Amino acid sequence: MADKLMMGRRTFVKGGLAASALTALAACGKKSGSSSSSNSSMKYYINDPVAIDPYNTQESEGTQVEHILFDSLCDYDWDKEEIVPKAAESWEANSDGTEFTFHLVKGAKFHNGDKVDAKSFKRGWERICNPKMATPSEINYHLAPVVGYDEMQKGTATELSGVTCPDDYTLVVKLSAPMADFPYICCHPALAPVPQAALDDPKSFLTKPIGNGPYMMVGKWESGQYINVKRFDDYYGKKPSIKKIYFSIQKDPKTAFSEFEAGNIDFTSIPTGRIKETQKKYGKSKDGYTCTPKHQVITGAETSIYYLTLNLQDETMKDLNVRKAMSLAIDRQKIIDKLFEGIRKPATSFVPSIIDDDKKDVWEFSKYDKDAAKKIVDENNLAGKEITLSYNSGGDHEDIMSIIQDNLEAVGFKVKQSSMEWASYLTALSGGNYQVGRLGWIADYPTMDNFIYPNFYSTADNNYAKYNNPEVDKAIDAARQITDDDERREKYREVNQVIAADLPVIPIMFYAHNHVASDKVKSLYYDPQGKADLANTKLA
Amino acid sequence: MGKYILKRVLQFIPVFLGVTLILFALENIVPGDPIKLMAGEKKLDPQTELNLRATYHLIETDSNGKPVRDSNGKTIPTPMWKRYVLYVNGLLHGDLGTSYQRKGQSVASILADKYPYTIRLSIVAIIIEAVVGIGAGMVSALKRYSFWDILVTLVTSIMVAMPAYWLGMLLQLFFGVFLKNATGGAFYLPISGAVGPGAEFDDWVYYILPAITLAAVSTAYTARIMRSQLLEVMNQDYIRTARAKGLSRRDVIWHHALKNALIPVVTYIGIDFGGMMAGAILTETVFNWPGVGYETYRAITQRDWPIVMGSVTVIVVVVMVINLIVDISYAFLDPRIRYGAGKND
Repeated sequence: MADKLMMGRRTFVKGGLAASALTALAACGKKSGSSSSSNSSMKYYINDPVAIDPYNTQESEGTQVEHILFDSLCDYDWDKEEIVPKAAESWEANSDGTEFTFHLVKGAKFHNGDKVDAKSFKRGWERICNPKMATPSEINYHLAPVVGYDEMQKGTATELSGVTCPDDYTLVVKLSAPMADFPYICCHPALAPVPQAALDDPKSFLTKPIGNGPYMMVGKWESGQYINVKRFDDYYGKKPSIKKIYFSIQKDPKTAFSEFEAGNIDFTSIPTGRIKETQKKYGKSKDGYTCTPKHQVITGAETSIYYLTLNLQDETMKDLNVRKAMSLAIDRQKIIDKLFEGIRKPATSFVPSIIDDDKKDVWEFSKYDKDAAKKIVDENNLAGKEITLSYNSGGDHEDIMSIIQDNLEAVGFKVKQSSMEWASYLTALSGGNYQVGRLGWIADYPTMDNFIYPNFYSTADNNYAKYNNPEVDKAIDAARQITDDDERREKYREVNQVIAADLPVIPIMFYAHNHVASDKVKSLYYDPQGKADLANTKLA
Repeated sequence: MGKYILKRVLQFIPVFLGVTLILFALENIVPGDPIKLMAGEKKLDPQTELNLRATYHLIETDSNGKPVRDSNGKTIPTPMWKRYVLYVNGLLHGDLGTSYQRKGQSVASILADKYPYTIRLSIVAIIIEAVVGIGAGMVSALKRYSFWDILVTLVTSIMVAMPAYWLGMLLQLFFGVFLKNATGGAFYLPISGAVGPGAEFDDWVYYILPAITLAAVSTAYTARIMRSQLLEVMNQDYIRTARAKGLSRRDVIWHHALKNALIPVVTYIGIDFGGMMAGAILTETVFNWPGVGYETYRAITQRDWPIVMGSVTVIVVVVMVINLIVDISYAFLDPRIRYGAGKND
């Protein structure tokens, strides 16, 4: 016995030796002089992007890179709550919001030295609308309001006729219908200018785009590995303080977080269930959006919503009382507390309060009131009605739906779940083969219109509920013409109330940031739309 | 032998056509419209959807690339056989198509980016598997019931039972986080990734943990197969004869027993290598390895058919070539096995 024990120890020692030999070996492979903690460079976690070429920039990860490579005409300032100049120094609209004239900053250059002129914007926008691209853009809808868009899409025109360049630094945009919010659209990172090189060599532009922004590519985007950028010295605006940014592309946020904990990444997302623990260790951000040493975890609200869409063609869902009872029966706070560590916010409207913080936005039935729900069920004899909750598997949806199922059953509905994999789910949703589905909406622009129009206008593509209220359509059309900001907002609040009464969807919760920066970061602002302001980030 | 190889290579053609045809059929059966999936939850407008379908030859188009419509004004889906012909035609011209999800990028360039990493990782893993697996199996068989035998049996049992991703995460935690913190940053291994500018280590260091993880389960199996085979061979009459002739134990093992015991082991390692070359989804995910396995997995879930077709095409060829090499290697291991010489049993 003693002998065996000795042997065990010896093996243990040997095992330990083997492990240290392995790391010692690795130490030989360690390069000297290169360290992740250099004070002029930063490592930033992203998931593999869909695209970093502006013609198809659509999701958070690609945008993160693209928006520091390219400058669009203007930008939304979350502090001032207004649009501020970027590549355009000023602009004006005509009286009904159908024509916009942008005056570009003079002397701006692309990373290859080419001049940034009005034509380069027209070129960039036309690439987005060009159906002959190797993969045509899916985000051409940004430009749908522009005159000539339909012709380009149908292949009868090769030019966006509504965009003209009277001189090098003036860009005139004509819209086919009034839209006072158009400058917000122009803030979108995808609507960037591109140099002639984008047309000459579109293949390499996909992985090594040449922009007009504060940073430029170093080498190409190495798929699944990294994107490396450095400060662009000829940038027309304020020079960033960080010289190099290394976007580390990770498939699994958990691995990224391990890298963060080992000190190899400076900014990352926090895996589900570890936010509170991370907050304790690294400190809460003061405003929810800015990371500073000891206040490194940000949990500010995002411009996005998690909601249930109700198929209004379905017999059960046609009944407004069913919809009201369902909305009142769901305990949103419980979902948030149980699954999201209390970080997300219960949705009291479809429009997040970060977009418009007004009492008039609140939806009457978007709150938890079990008794009221039970009362509606009893009064209308709804007990035992069958409801099927459809959703895509993964991503916490099972857990969310289980709580919702419990809630609905508690007031008397008979509830089934139907979990599908993503591709099948999307097919079911767009084919109308569902009763109740789950969806998320992430705003493209921080406007009320961007929540209301795409989801509730009768002919809008994203109107999965097949909601059709001519009064709402008319009111949205009218709101889009109002050039006065306050007046326009007021009009959208009215529309919002009409939709709230019809209840074609059930708002569940507003998403929140779940990110952390290392203590090497002196200040980093991560805006509600999920764009890190890397050009103004400072390192300690 | 030459004739045999030629025959085997010709057999590739029907196998290849069969596999790709099945896959093409699958594309039509599996639910999920790849074009609708391109934009995710945000729905595409109808004209954009139409343009995308035309670009990817999912609907019939005229010579200008404009959709052809029937008398009811509806678009006509391209029949499966026509798309298959287009695919094979593209293949013969070295064109594997354009990805749906990796906007505008050609499948060939994506695979060319990813394959080298898969190949290199597979080679390192297979070396670990062969050396450690065969070595441990031999020790275990030759020193039967000794401490070492028990240790090998115990460790291999644990290895077989342990899921690769879990082992990977444990290794990351120990070598990447724990050791780094415990030694004040003096000794540790990289947690993830393959290489990168400003990387802290030489490229080869990045292979250590993923290769061990990838090889772990198969190494355990290799050791077990090796052990049982060697034990069986050692009990054969010809071994006893060789021993009786007065050959040393070492000669008997090296010249007589080992070669015979290796045949099933080589078969196993060969098949395993083929599997590794198809990519290792879990290992690639945990270690963020830019290989072809995760890419194929992603492509399947997102119905990125051009990538699925492309990677399967490559995998089919690679696996067939490896199988051929394994079969040829038998002839070297066992002189009784002869190919192409007519009869053998």
